[in-house]
Amino acid sequence: MVWNNIVEYTPILLDGAVVTVMITVGALIISTPLGFVWAMLKRSRYKPVSLVASSIINVVRGLPMIVLLFYIYFVFPDVGIRLTSLQASIIGLGFGYSTYVAEVFRSGIEAVDPGQMEAAQSIGMGRIKAMIRVVLPQAFRVALPPYSSTLVMMLKDSAIASTIAVAEMTRQGQLIAASTFQNTTVYTMVAVFYLAMSLPMMRVTKILERRFGKHEMT
Amino acid sequence: MIEITDVYKSFGANPVLQGVSARVAAGEVVCLIGPSGSGKSTLLRCINGLETYDEGSIDVLGSRVDSRGKNANALRKQVGMVFQRFNLFPHRTALENVMEGPVHVNGQPKSEARRLAEELLGKVGLVTKLHAYPRQLSGGQQQRVAIARSLAMSPKIMLFDEPTSALDPELVGEVLSVMRSLANDGMTMVIVTHEMQFAKQVADRVWFLHGGKIVEEGSARQVLGAPKEPRTRDFLRRVIGEDAEPVSSIERHSVS
Repeated sequence: MVWNNIVEYTPILLDGAVVTVMITVGALIISTPLGFVWAMLKRSRYKPVSLVASSIINVVRGLPMIVLLFYIYFVFPDVGIRLTSLQASIIGLGFGYSTYVAEVFRSGIEAVDPGQMEAAQSIGMGRIKAMIRVVLPQAFRVALPPYSSTLVMMLKDSAIASTIAVAEMTRQGQLIAASTFQNTTVYTMVAVFYLAMSLPMMRVTKILERRFGKHEMT
Repeated sequence: MIEITDVYKSFGANPVLQGVSARVAAGEVVCLIGPSGSGKSTLLRCINGLETYDEGSIDVLGSRVDSRGKNANALRKQVGMVFQRFNLFPHRTALENVMEGPVHVNGQPKSEARRLAEELLGKVGLVTKLHAYPRQLSGGQQQRVAIARSLAMSPKIMLFDEPTSALDPELVGEVLSVMRSLANDGMTMVIVTHEMQFAKQVADRVWFLHGGKIVEEGSARQVLGAPKEPRTRDFLRRVIGEDAEPVSSIERHSVS
């Protein structure tokens, strides 16, 4: 009976969903501020600083996320850094995604008319304050849609953690499917559960866009 | 108030200012005219440190404007600037735009800044638009908000960088009339403009820039009415029209 199977598998998958959310939220908490730092360093007026930042960004973006994860989980112990598989996946995903977030923020900042910075400076505002009060609020509005797609991608990529045996939702699904052969039921449920998380995320973005874009309405 | 001494600047290999010297006295209204690429805007932007310069010196209100444009914040509180493209903060209402400087630069209490902003927006004729966002305003209205935003810092000098060039012709007059009343109040103003009729009426002095130099300088009446330099005559002829009538006979309905 499929219905019985669903009832039986749901708690197991929900356990996995909790871990999926943990990875996503953890990676979000790491990648957002770190991405912002990368973006600022890349925009630095000091050439060596921006060069180092953009090199790191490009190297990390050029690696498959799964390789990054393996590196952190399997190679770091060789240099004495031992992480649990959950820690490794949060750090790996957070670090990897910080570079995408950096590019999102940078393009948002660069989309703001340079005249805005000048106008703020012309009333005596310092560069940092002008950045915070004038440029960033506008940049955030521009960056919001790509930022939200990045977050959704992060949620989905948390499935990669299954490869280092983190008991997140995809891994839980695999385990059930392997022992029951109920592939259709299990993977349909896994898909539906992912959608139950990702679709509301997209919805929240729409609401935020409207909130931060209220000056655009006539 | 402003003392410019032998200022040179180039963008890469391209010289923009080639030895400009000039001064502006308190309460004077100076109009900078000249063909595009003559360095008018660059000179204006050097005065409040938005642009760097290579050689020479600029002193404003008794202190040196750093040639690399550093530490200009204190200076900029006293030198207002109005831009061609208005550059209002789009995410803030007219009122918030005007309050931004007093509250977040000078640390004035909000209620006080709000009263000042309302008064200034009233002065530029926008008392009904306090809560409008820039997007909801016409170009002329936006530029008047921008003027009010600068005035909110109680500047001693106001710089205008082609303030009416981005406006539809029928909106030019409302901005010029605000500027005219500022001039009548005794504000020291430096204005880059193509509005010759306005310059004639309002300016005490006119500087004609050509190829990065001030090639003619004098009273508005003299420079615009009876230019000595062939290059000035040539420029005025092209700006005003083929006949090269003296400026005073040109009709411009938008100037009220």
